[in-house]
Amino acid sequence: MSAIAPERAGVTTQAIEGSQPVRLAPNYWPFVVPALVVVGAVIVFPWAFTLWMSVNSWTLGQSRSFAGMENYLRLASDPRFWESLWHTLTYTFLSVVAPMFFGTVAALIFDARFPLRGLLRGLFVMPMMATPVAVALVWTMMFHPQLGVLNYLLSLVGIPAQEWIFNPNTVIPSLVAVETWQWTPLVMLIVLGGLASVPREPFESAEIDGANAWQQFRYLTLPMIAPFLMIAVIIRTIDALKSFDIIYAMTQGGPGTASETINIYLYNTAFSYYDMGYGSAMAVVFFIVIVALSFILLMLRQRSQWIDAEGK
Amino acid sequence: MGSRLLNKIGLFFGALVLVSPAILFFLWMISLSLKFEIDNGAYPPILIPERFAWSNYAKVFEENNFLLYMWNSVLVTGTATLLALLIGVPAGYGIARLKAERSAIVIMIARMTPGLSYLIPLFLLFQWLGILGTLWPQIIIHLVVTVPIVVWVMIGYFETTPMELEEAANIDGASSWQVFRLVALPIAKPGIVVAFILSIIFSWNNFVFGVVLASRETRTLPVAVYNMLSYEQVSWGPLAAAALVVTLPVLVLTMFAQRQIVAGLTAGAVKGG
Amino acid sequence: MASVTINNVQKAFGNAKIIHDVSVDIADGEFVILVGPSGCGKSTLLRMIAGLETISAGKIAIGEHTVNNLRARDRNIAMVFQNYALYPHMTVADNMGFALRIKKADPADTASRVKRAASILGLEKLLDRYPRQLSGGQRQRVAMGRAIVRDPQVFLFDEPLSNLDAKLRVQMRGEIKALHQRLGTTTIYVTHDQIEAMTMADKIVVLHDGLVEQIGAPLDLYDRPANLFVAGFIGSPAMNFIHGHVEEGIFRSAGGLTLPLPEGIQPAEAAGRELVYGIRPEHIRATGQGLSGTVTLMEATGSEIFATVDCGGEVISCLFRERLALKQGEAVRIEIDRASAHLFDARTGQRI
Repeated sequence: MSAIAPERAGVTTQAIEGSQPVRLAPNYWPFVVPALVVVGAVIVFPWAFTLWMSVNSWTLGQSRSFAGMENYLRLASDPRFWESLWHTLTYTFLSVVAPMFFGTVAALIFDARFPLRGLLRGLFVMPMMATPVAVALVWTMMFHPQLGVLNYLLSLVGIPAQEWIFNPNTVIPSLVAVETWQWTPLVMLIVLGGLASVPREPFESAEIDGANAWQQFRYLTLPMIAPFLMIAVIIRTIDALKSFDIIYAMTQGGPGTASETINIYLYNTAFSYYDMGYGSAMAVVFFIVIVALSFILLMLRQRSQWIDAEGK
Repeated sequence: MGSRLLNKIGLFFGALVLVSPAILFFLWMISLSLKFEIDNGAYPPILIPERFAWSNYAKVFEENNFLLYMWNSVLVTGTATLLALLIGVPAGYGIARLKAERSAIVIMIARMTPGLSYLIPLFLLFQWLGILGTLWPQIIIHLVVTVPIVVWVMIGYFETTPMELEEAANIDGASSWQVFRLVALPIAKPGIVVAFILSIIFSWNNFVFGVVLASRETRTLPVAVYNMLSYEQVSWGPLAAAALVVTLPVLVLTMFAQRQIVAGLTAGAVKGG
Repeated sequence: MASVTINNVQKAFGNAKIIHDVSVDIADGEFVILVGPSGCGKSTLLRMIAGLETISAGKIAIGEHTVNNLRARDRNIAMVFQNYALYPHMTVADNMGFALRIKKADPADTASRVKRAASILGLEKLLDRYPRQLSGGQRQRVAMGRAIVRDPQVFLFDEPLSNLDAKLRVQMRGEIKALHQRLGTTTIYVTHDQIEAMTMADKIVVLHDGLVEQIGAPLDLYDRPANLFVAGFIGSPAMNFIHGHVEEGIFRSAGGLTLPLPEGIQPAEAAGRELVYGIRPEHIRATGQGLSGTVTLMEATGSEIFATVDCGGEVISCLFRERLALKQGEAVRIEIDRASAHLFDARTGQRI
């Protein structure tokens, strides 16, 4: 084709094919670089440093020495760690299931129209925004076995008084109740967003086909909001695994170690015993647990996506 | 017609049942904070006392240096949020335009990482730098919370603003910086408001960073209220009053900016998957 | 004002080649329309001229200067986008004056140029409004105003009328044409609508799958389409295509229908190959002689009658200008205007 080029008017000797690479698009990297520097300093550097610390033995105030995999081996044979892992998983499972259930029900209700909907929805969102420590303090008072308002309310319906967070057997469910109270609204908002994206027509068509309300929910609503439910599950899982404020403020892992999750154990190791190397190893393992669980859920989400299945 | 009305009333009461734990909790919180010790210890419990104990609030500010801690909270949250906006808004713009998935993933993993794993290395770093007694460690570590929120919200926002406007500005002769400052930024104002509010709330509520890094003079409010519980004789009235003081600014902000918060959280959350 | 030279231009996104090899010469002051079905590469080509896409190979020059490596903001062109791309946070006046503000022009001068452009477009009373307060047609005018104020070397239009309703589209078509006549600025206009192309252009470039099918004046394209694609694309209702071959000086269709050879075609040059006979519906008349067939469909709009006639298995669309008392199922005889018929090579698609 370049054979014709010289015949054309106005063609200079400027190279036609594969001259210097040009970038006409604006250069956006200068916008990102400051953030990259900050993220590198406060986020990526700690990741790397934690990894390095985890193969060292260092208690604050003593000298540091290279320890290889020692911290990890110690972790594997530490019954308190395994117990805390078990607590974490129980706590997380319950703190995902309960808010998912209540949040979805709430979203279905708030998706409909009724008087004072805006006001009630606003009040419903409040717990999520409240300061967790402040919330935890008030719940601690409400859980008080003798003076707490909860036991009084139970007595009204004839249920005997409970020990709530002061009993090793009920402490985790009690903490989950607080977690559920606080984070159900987030699930509600995500599912509500999903419901808003559901098209109207299939329901009208199903109505004509004679589907009742339950069938419409089961065969239309549920599959259509499935991707959003999965997102809610993923976010809830990550947040519940990381939960610290409520547990620490209410029980500090007690009674005994009955509610000690990995996060609490990690805190105690690093900032009560100042065993930084061991704490770092725990942080690394904890991080891997979170990423692994999120990854599994993300894979599940890929399968639940009906939009992609249609080949948009 | 009749059944539709019934339906609406049914939904209303369903919603009321779901909202009641939230309403009752906050009512009880207010009640606790306004009762004298004797009323708080009464059985059966009293919701509305005969005499209001306003002195509980006075006590909070008199005895616990609460004004200093509130000022600390304002400084930490304010500075961390402003810094996050300053670097996070352009970053969100750049990432959205570059379609830099990898940068976005770093931000997402940052959200997944437990705060404590940042604390060990940064605690050691701050100690080495000798700045542990000041507010700077907390301001810097709060960036771990605020920067990802701002970047994440802004990526979502800039992805929805039409590219053609910026192309038009390009053709009109604007440089990249002018395109950003004169076109992209003004259009993104609602997104910036959302990022600002969410960043404030999550920074204000943060507890774990303060509990490790704060000294007696540099406590933020959540740490201060927690310390009231551990170091003083537990008296419920002032404690509840303190808890209310800590969370009130956030609740007020939530009430006024509900729409933006909902939009930001759902967008951020949905994108977050 | 300037000429635009597009020389052996190619564009690839990764492995996907969008534009294969396009060359177009656009004279100073010319109104050129790039037309083709969606996905033909016309918008990409326009964006390459604008500087919004890089050029994979070849050369684009505006006036004397090759602009391949010039950023959009340095090319001194103006573009009207499909959805107008008005800055929503600026008033009409600020929108129109934005480019001059960027250039740090004298504000008084900017104001007077905005005013002049506004008076040309009838926007004087809207200068303080925001885009959201305007109707579709007004937004369209503001977008054009923004281009005029610049006084650029070239105007680029990317399907500017496709978001307007049919009536407004006809009106704006006239206004854009009048504007071009008044300003005389070189204009490159992209559309998928062949009516827009026919009514507005000095020169039409028909693009298909990243290649130029034909370049020419509107009526040339209509009268002498270079190939089957152009023949089918230009004109509405579309041209009839009948497959067959030439035997003993006449065209014989696959179904056995015989048609007279188009004027100017020697039987010798057409013999012995697969052919397509092309005749536009409006070049068929019901004169009572010629091919006999049955009316299978008939739609009268008042000004004309559109009918399809089944002639021995070939369904031929016809457009009659006179009022005929035709009924579905009725026998009719139609005559083909030999002077307006075309013959194409079926294999290459090229005109014979």
